[in-house]
Amino acid sequence: MLGDARKAQEIFQTTLREAALRAAHGELPKEPFWLFRDARWRCLEASETDLQAEPLEIDEHDIVPEAPSQIEQLEPAQLAIWISSAPDPQRTALTLFYLDEFDYREILDLAELKLSELSRLLAVGRRQFQAWLDAMLPKKPNV
Amino acid sequence: MRDRSMRSAVFRARTSDEFANQQSFDQAVAGLVRSIPIPPDIAEWFSAKDLVSPSKWTWKKTVRNPAVLAIGIALVVIAGVLVFQFVARLNDFPGSATARKLLTIAASTRSVLLDPVSADAGTLSDLFFMKHGLEHYDVPAEFADFRTIGCRVFEDDQSQRVAQIWVAEKRIQFFLFPAERDVKTGAVLRFPGWRYVHQEGWVAAVTEHNGVCFMAALPGREKDLAPYISKTKQ
Repeated sequence: MLGDARKAQEIFQTTLREAALRAAHGELPKEPFWLFRDARWRCLEASETDLQAEPLEIDEHDIVPEAPSQIEQLEPAQLAIWISSAPDPQRTALTLFYLDEFDYREILDLAELKLSELSRLLAVGRRQFQAWLDAMLPKKPNV
Repeated sequence: MRDRSMRSAVFRARTSDEFANQQSFDQAVAGLVRSIPIPPDIAEWFSAKDLVSPSKWTWKKTVRNPAVLAIGIALVVIAGVLVFQFVARLNDFPGSATARKLLTIAASTRSVLLDPVSADAGTLSDLFFMKHGLEHYDVPAEFADFRTIGCRVFEDDQSQRVAQIWVAEKRIQFFLFPAERDVKTGAVLRFPGWRYVHQEGWVAAVTEHNGVCFMAALPGREKDLAPYISKTKQ
């Protein structure tokens, strides 16, 4: 969500501290994803103070069979930075989807999106990321 | 995948190249995400505990389940049928089945089918006894003064002899038929007072006396017949 490990760690600790305080006061929400929702909003708030990417028309490419080999060449930080520079709610959608910890209903709940919106955001995100991969990395044949 | 529509969408798309590319793309990205190192002090929070508590069982969720809903509706319908049958059986009495059959006959009978007889209904007991050998086929006092149009004696589907009387008032018909008997002992199954039966827009009041049931029937409802019944009705 942030593309910055230090900030992410700060937000994680702040979220947990807040949760501990609420637990001490017996004010923990009943809904199951409140902690993630809380962390998400903190991330969005924190990134508002960062340098914002200029709104650009980003290229989109069809996903190619060689994409996995292109992705293998990436550093995790590069992916994190790419996702964190996406506008919300696409950023949240991509983050939650690729964390691979939630099913799509849970993602819809957490990101406060409709199914069609989530589907569109992910589809566009894939095509944009593929375009970025094509621009940044040479294609290797997928064996 | 828990969701049926999602499963069927994946099933439909599984043979396309685009979907295969998308899947391998997603797996590669998810693999890269998994390789992100997590600082040890954060990792210990995720050691063995599930941060997301499993969704709680609630009545609302259970009731919204289509299978539960279908079973619930089926049970309600079955319960409704059982209650209906139970309520119907509550008013049953010895001879009620015969009474219902005779109500069907009453609804389909035309007065021309009967032998014309103009007399007080109470006087027909002698006619039934002398002409047809039917003992105790007596019209109760409540209906004895009604003027008759016609009468007949016929055998029902169980070869029981039934006397039918048509009276002038309000298309009322009387039926006299043998009371139901115990299959083993042959004893008459008695019941006190008047009992009502209903069948296809007709209502009848039935009483038993000396092993013979008397039934007064008319098209209408119980309140149409009630005024004719004496206050001894139970």
